[in-house]
Amino acid sequence: MKGSYSQAEDSELISASIAGDKLAFSEIMERYRKMVARTVKGMLGDSVFAEDIGQEVFIKLYNSLSDFRGEAKLSTYIQKIAINLTLNEIKRRKRFFSMFSQKGNNEMHEYEIADFDSEGKRDATELVNKALMGLDPKFRIIVAMRMLQGYSTKETAEILGLPLGTVLSRLSRAQEQLKQILRNL
Amino acid sequence: MKPSELKSLIIGSLDEKTDPRTASKKLEEEGISYDFSKGFSEKVIDKIFSMPETVVREIEFVKSMRFIFNRVALTGVAAIILLLVSIFLAEGSLSFNSFLGIGDSYDESIVYLLTGN
Repeated sequence: MKGSYSQAEDSELISASIAGDKLAFSEIMERYRKMVARTVKGMLGDSVFAEDIGQEVFIKLYNSLSDFRGEAKLSTYIQKIAINLTLNEIKRRKRFFSMFSQKGNNEMHEYEIADFDSEGKRDATELVNKALMGLDPKFRIIVAMRMLQGYSTKETAEILGLPLGTVLSRLSRAQEQLKQILRNL
Repeated sequence: MKPSELKSLIIGSLDEKTDPRTASKKLEEEGISYDFSKGFSEKVIDKIFSMPETVVREIEFVKSMRFIFNRVALTGVAAIILLLVSIFLAEGSLSFNSFLGIGDSYDESIVYLLTGN
C-alpha cells in the first residue's frame, strides 16, 4: 500500500498517517491543499500570513488526527480547523490594528486594500481578493464558503455552526456590501 | 471575460437561486484559483516530522493529563451529587446545618457540646 495512496480512501490515509507514514499525510495535503488555500487566502488575502496559517492548519490536523472520529467528512473537519485558525488570525490582527487606531476594523481593510493596489495587478483573482478584503470578516467567511468553495447555505451553516437564518441574512447583506465595493473597483 | 461581466458573475454567485457549486466552478474557469506557494507541502512535512521527540512526548503527556483530568472531574461531580442526595435523604433538607451534620440539634446543645457548660 505504501507509496501508492492516490486511490486510497480518506480513512486509510488517516490510519497510515497516525502510524507515521509521510506519504499518506502528503496525499491528504495534496487532496485538500487547494480547499484550505481558498478558505485561508479568501479570508486573509494572498499574503505570507496566509501561507503560515495554511501550514498551521495541516500541522494542527496532523496532531489531532487521532481525535478524528470519522463522524463528519475529513474535508469538513479540515475546513473547520482552517476557519478557526483564520478567524483567530483576523482577531489577532484586529487587536494589533486597534492598538494603533481607534478606527480598528476599518483601518485594517484600508491597509489591506492599499497593499493590493501597490502591486498594480488586475487579474480576476485579484479583483475577487480586493472585493473580499473590503467585506466585514463575518460576511467574508460566508462569501468565501459559497463563492470559492461552492458550499450551499445549509452546508455553510453546518460548518460554521450558525443558524440557517443567520447565514441567509448575512449572505444577503454581504451581497449588498459586495455590490458597493465592486462598483468602486 | 470583461471586468463588468466578472463582477456580475461574482455578485450573481451569491444569489439564493444560483447553484453555488456551478457558480464556483464558473469562477474557477475564469481563472479565480487559490493555492499555496511551491514547496508548501514539503515545508509542512518537514515541520511535522522533524518535530523533536520531546515535543511529541510532551503532546502525548498533555493528552494523557487531559484524559485523566476528565475522568477525575467526572468522578468528583458524581461523588458530590451522591453526597447531596444522601444528605437530603438523611436530613430532609440541604441547609447549611444539614451539611455540618447538626440539622437536628438545638442551639443550646451545640453550645454545650462546644463549651461544656
